[in-house]
This record gives sequence, C-alpha cells and structure tokens, in this order.
Amino acid sequence: MRIRGITKHYYLMLLPGLIWLFFFNLLPMHGILMAFKEFNPGMGIWKSPWVGLENFRYMFELDDSIQVFKNTIFIAVLKMIGNLIVPLLFALMLNEVKNRYFSRTVQTIVYLPHFLSWVIVAGIMIDIFSYTGPINQVLSVFGMDPVLFFANAKIFPSLIVGSDIWKEFGFAAIIFFAALTSINPEMYEAAAIDGASQFKRLMRITLPSILPVAILLGTLSLGNILNAGFDQIFNLYNPAVYSTGDVIDTWVYRAGLIDMQYGLATAVGLLKSVVGLVLISTSYGLAYRFANYRIF
Amino acid sequence: MKKQGIKKGLTAIMVGLLITTSLSACSSNNTTNSSSNNSEGSTNVAVNIDPLGKFPEPLEVSIGRSLDTNYKFNGTDTAEDNAYTRWLKEEYNIVVKHAWEASVTDYDQKVSLAISSNDLPDAMRVNETQLKQMIKADQLEDLTEVYKNVGAPRLKDIYESNPGLLENVTVDNKLYAFPETTLPSAPLTWIRKDWLDKLGLEAPKSLEDLEKIAKAFIDNKMGGKNTVGIVGTGQGGALYSTFLTSSDHYMNFSSLFFANGAYPGIWVKDKDGKAVYGSTLPETKQTLAMMREWYTKGILDKEVGLRKSGQEIAVSGEAGIFFGPWWTPYNLQDAIKNDPEANWRPYVAPLNAAGEFTSNQATGSNFIVVKKGYEHPEAVVKMLNVHVSEKIASYEGATKGKEMTGQEIPLFIIAGAGDQLDYTVNTLRDYLDGKIKLEDIDKVNYGFTNDLALHVKDIKIAPFDNYDIQHWDQVKDPGFFAHVYAHLNGGSTFVDADVKYLRSLATSKTKTMDARWTNLKKMEDETFLKIILGSSPLEDFDTFVQKWMEQGGDTITKEVNELQ
Repeated sequence: MRIRGITKHYYLMLLPGLIWLFFFNLLPMHGILMAFKEFNPGMGIWKSPWVGLENFRYMFELDDSIQVFKNTIFIAVLKMIGNLIVPLLFALMLNEVKNRYFSRTVQTIVYLPHFLSWVIVAGIMIDIFSYTGPINQVLSVFGMDPVLFFANAKIFPSLIVGSDIWKEFGFAAIIFFAALTSINPEMYEAAAIDGASQFKRLMRITLPSILPVAILLGTLSLGNILNAGFDQIFNLYNPAVYSTGDVIDTWVYRAGLIDMQYGLATAVGLLKSVVGLVLISTSYGLAYRFANYRIF
Repeated sequence: MKKQGIKKGLTAIMVGLLITTSLSACSSNNTTNSSSNNSEGSTNVAVNIDPLGKFPEPLEVSIGRSLDTNYKFNGTDTAEDNAYTRWLKEEYNIVVKHAWEASVTDYDQKVSLAISSNDLPDAMRVNETQLKQMIKADQLEDLTEVYKNVGAPRLKDIYESNPGLLENVTVDNKLYAFPETTLPSAPLTWIRKDWLDKLGLEAPKSLEDLEKIAKAFIDNKMGGKNTVGIVGTGQGGALYSTFLTSSDHYMNFSSLFFANGAYPGIWVKDKDGKAVYGSTLPETKQTLAMMREWYTKGILDKEVGLRKSGQEIAVSGEAGIFFGPWWTPYNLQDAIKNDPEANWRPYVAPLNAAGEFTSNQATGSNFIVVKKGYEHPEAVVKMLNVHVSEKIASYEGATKGKEMTGQEIPLFIIAGAGDQLDYTVNTLRDYLDGKIKLEDIDKVNYGFTNDLALHVKDIKIAPFDNYDIQHWDQVKDPGFFAHVYAHLNGGSTFVDADVKYLRSLATSKTKTMDARWTNLKKMEDETFLKIILGSSPLEDFDTFVQKWMEQGGDTITKEVNELQ
C-alpha cells in the first residue's frame, strides 16, 4: 500500500499509541515464559529452571480455577452487555429531548463519574450500601430488615456490574451522540413527510444508522472480556464474596504478589490471555461476516 | 526531502526501541554477573572500619521506604531529607537515597514486586516470608564478615541479649539479615473507660463480661445512634494473625479465639504431641460459633470484614471496644483529638476458662536486608550502629529535641535488649514515684528509656499511678506524648500481665505450602467469615476441615511434623 502524502500525518498520529503498545504490552510479553518455569527472581526469567506444563496441570487441579474462570466470564459478559445497551438507550432517549441546554447539562453530569478512580467510587459505594447507610435506611422505611449488600455473594455480581455501568454509561454514550449527529436530517424529514411515526423513524433510521458504531464498540469490548475489572473488584470484595466475586485478576494478584507463587499466577494469567485472543478473533470474524464490519 | 526527514525520524525511534528492548532483556543477566564479582570484593574492603567513625568519602545507600502519610515532619522536612538523614550525612558521610517510597499499606506489596522483578534497592526492610523468598532466590548479600568487622559493640550486645535471632537468619553459615528484636506482644482488650464509668460497669475478665459490656454500650447508645459493639478486622484484613504474618494482633479477633483455647492460623501440638493446624481444631469451631452468635446479637461489628478501616470507627467515637497490643495508643492520638474525654484503657482480658491470659507468640518480624552485590554493606551496618548506639553530641542540635521516629530514621527497626519494654516501663514508673533519679538509668544500654525519662514529667501529671486520660498533659511536649502515653498506658498493663504463650511449630512455608497455600488460605478466610456473618451454616466448618485435608493439608501437616 502506497502512503499518499496527504495521509502521512495520520500515520504519525498512530505513533504515540504504537510506542505505548510496544512498551506496556509487547515488551513485557517475554514474562509469559514464567508460566513454564519455576521462577526464581534471583536467577531471572531466563535462568530459572523449566517445569514444562506443571503449572498448568496444577491450575486445572485446583477447584478455585474453574470457579474463578466462571466468575470472570459471568461478570465480564454482563458488563459487556450492560455497557453496550445502557449507553445506547440513554443516547437515544436524550436524543429525543429537544431542549439542547437540558440535554447538554445532563450529558456533562453523567460522564463525570468516568473520571473518578475506583478507590473513590468504591469508598462511596461501601458507605451507601453499608449497614446504616442510605439504602438500608430506605429499606427500613418499608419495614424490611437491613441487608449487608457487600457480604452477600448472590448480590455482589449485580453490584459490580451495576456500579460499572453507572460509572461508565455517560462516557460511552458520547460516541453514540457523535454517531447520532452524523445522521442526515433529510432522512428524518423525508420520513416525516411519508407519514412515519416517531417510533418508526427511530426503528428505521436512527437504529440502523448507529448500528455499525454499536457493533464496533461491542467487538472492541470483547477483547476485554476476561478483564472483569481488577481495580473495581479489588476495592470492593472480601472473603465472604469469593465464591462469586473472585476473578482471574484478583486471584492472580493474591497468588502472585501476596503468596509469591509466580509461576502459577503467570500460568493463569496466560490462559486468560489465550482465551481472550480466541474470543476477540471470533468476534471480529462474526462482525465481519454478519455486519460487514472491518477495522483493516 | 520532507519525506526523508520523517523516515529518518522513524528509523531513529525504531532503533531507540530496539536498543531499549535488548537492554531490558539482558539487564537481569548483567546484574547477576556483576553482583557475583562485586560481592567478593566488598568483603575485603570492609575489614577494620571504625564502627562509629566517619567514612572518608560520602557513601550512597538507596533504600525502599514506607511512608506514613499522616505523619507530621518538622517544617519542610521529608522522609528522604530530614534532620536525621542530614545529620547522618554530616557526621558519617552516609547519604540515603530513596529508590522508591510506598504508603504503609502498600509497602509489603511494593517489596514483593521489587523481589519478583529483581529490581532491588541497596537495602530495605522485609518481612519473614519475603526474607525466606530472597534467601531462596539468592538475592541477598552475605553479611557475616561485615557484621563481625563493622558491627558496633552495642549492636552485638543487643543481638546477644536476644538469643536465637541471628541464628534464625543464618543459612549455611551466612548471615543474611538484621532482624528486629521482637518485643513480646499479646492482644489486650481496649475499652473506653469513660463509658464504663458512666454506666457503672466493672472491668472485664471473661468473655461473658466482654459481651455484657458491649451490649451495655450499644443499648445505652454510648457512641451515638449507631454504636458499634466490638470492632475489629476491616476489609482485606485477617480475623487473626497467622504463622506467616507479624501483625501483632492489632485490631483483629485473636483474643476471642485465645480465650476459647483456640489457636487458628498457627501450628500447635495435639494431645499426642503431633503438629496440627490450629484452624482445623474443634476449639476454633466453637469460637466461630460464639462469634456467629455475637454477630447475630449485634455484639460484634455488623460490618466485620467489610469496613475500609476498623480503626476509623474507634477514632470517630462510634465504638468502645477492640483488641490490640500495648503500643495501640500510638494509633489513638486522633481519637483523643476528636474527643478529649476518650479514655482508652487496656485490660488483661478475656481470660480462658482456667482464668489464664493466653496468646500465640508473634513469629514473624521485620528484617533489614542488603542486596547481593551492593558495594558498601558496611554503610548499612554503620547506619544500624548509629541507630542503636548512644548519639554523639551533635545529635541533640540536629534534631532540636524532637524524638525521631521510623519516619525520619532510614532502615528503622526496633532494636533493643530483650527486656527493653519491661525496663522502660518499670524505670519510668520508679522515676515518677521518686524511687530512682535520672542518673540511675542505664543510659548506655537503654538510651530510649533515658530519653523518655527526660520528658515524662512534662507529660504525665499526678497521680502518677493513674493512667486515665485526664491525668496527662497533652500539649506541653507533643514530640514525646505518644511515646510516653503508649509506654505507660499500654506498656504498664502488658508488663504486669501474666501471659501464657504458645508458639507456632512452623514459622515459614513448607514445600507443599509453596504451591497449595493460596488455595487453602482462600478456603479458610471464606469459610470463617461466612460462618460469622451467618451466610453459611456452622456445619460448613466440618466440610472445610475435610476439604482442607484433601487439598494438600494432609501433606503439609506431614511436612510440618517432619520439621520437629
């Protein structure tokens, strides 16, 4: 492919991203060798003795592994769906609000939580859902017993998914807003003249127009499917919710950094990446096939 | 022309990237090579250096440092550049540089990261697990020679008065670390005595007393509408300290277990003299049952294991009972600031059925280690010499009368004679009573005691044998208040207590533990917390024991028995 002079600077803009990718994603990859070794930090990665697939064999032996994988996938899939649908619906609804001042204000307010760190959001969450917090006070008005939300393994995944959606939907909606503004208003006018109802216009014009963007976002998020969100869960979980809340990243953190089982932790992490790779390849293939969507 | 320029730039960047890659790929090899060369050389250099003399040239020591973000330094001082470090440079030519800093809570994690990436500062403080890992990974400098040649007599005296300490960190006749002299410790029950007095309650002895007091505090809303009963473990914390942790039982529930004759988290002898893991024994189950009942009744904090910090609840005045060692008052200064009436006092309670006060003995500790290949291990030894020895005249001027803490002193460890706490507490009491004079204090061996005695009369006001908060002057000498308050309010109760200790049979991980412990520990933490919170039935304890045995516990128990 010949690069035409006029587009050269676009490629230059890629550079910061590529450099970042190289240093933080490609360079550390030689570390995956640790998964096949009995890692000894004093000897370094290269000199530590090989153990073959021993770490993997042991990983599959552990009851934990299956549970942790299940939790990860469950939480991640729910997050993926929620983070696609909620911003989309929100953008569509706000798009119907004709008062521009109002919709701008709402937009600004809802994307603010995106900029808070999980440490802060988790602190607020724990206070809100605490035994004497506002949620339980509301429940007591209705005569219900207080609930310890963060100690309940059944509720925990919903809290994780819910808070993630709450934090991110405003920011994710920005892309949909952008897509919505790019729809040619003449189409709406023509449809209105043909007598299409507001709902019909939404279904036949708006949705198809932003579908490619939705698919793009969906595909991109698949790459993150096994990242159920370390920061968030680490700041919110406790042993009482291990059964549904312990995900690969938190488990790897405990095994690797607290207990110093480096080889095992790396093996689990590597498996996570391999599964992630398969998933993103599949989803990309599907997107190409059914939505005729391609990045390259 | 333009095109070429861009191309050139890109090439430069790519070349740059390649160089950095190859460098980082080799770096691990380089360090190991160079280190083995250096370590041979350094031992020879160290011979015949005056333990407390000034180095002819400035020597740099890079360290990893834990920072207490709440600590107030004098003026513009920082942890890296303060009265103590400047004095160290001035008088001894030792320049302390920070390789990295981490908050107190993140410090262990940062150290683990440094170990796993083999990116180590010249010296740092590590815990026992990390020490063992570093010895295994051959990351540590052999300190045998340099300790022999440069160690000050005072430093050697300290280790001689604490038998076994250096032996524990000597492997294959090589000394790998300078251990902290673990002061004996046991969790006392800390109670708001002003609340006890208001309700006309007696000091607690048994578990029943404790339950009664907690109930009275809650029923009478002593801490406001949401008074919390017994507060303890917060989010991510452990219910009790184990043979691998050295938490000194601060703000956990060990006391409740001890009073029931249970020793979870450590290896004890069963009636046949065989090693068993305390967490799997019936006494532990019985304590969990009790805690579960207390939890339902509201005696235990409803948010056990979920709170960001248990200490916060005590400091804010919502709770009036928790467990902690003698030094707890160091952490209660904010509580007193919030409420000058807050009269936190320690009690030797709860006692077990036989009326004894029992505790497991803290096994873990802190260790100062030196990176293998560091050229000047003698600088680290000299820093410790200076830390423990009587200060030269210029010290007073440099520190302007402020008592330096671990925040100012680099590579701070508690290093004192084994009986340091006893001596300090008894000396302070005798001195206040007028039984001894300042000159009678053994200034050479107990320098800190002497420092405390110099200030104690400004802080403790009469009557001297009453440690309630109204008998203290909190403003006159703030630099020493916490020290004196902790030693007399907590230390005196502990020194007088008759503690029956139980020590763990194993103090580090066995081979199978290396692989299995993450899994077993997770199971233990999860099961116990859920039983207490009532989200699992008590019978889950039996399932836990069975699963624990099956998933490696059996083998591990065998290994621990082989250690005996």
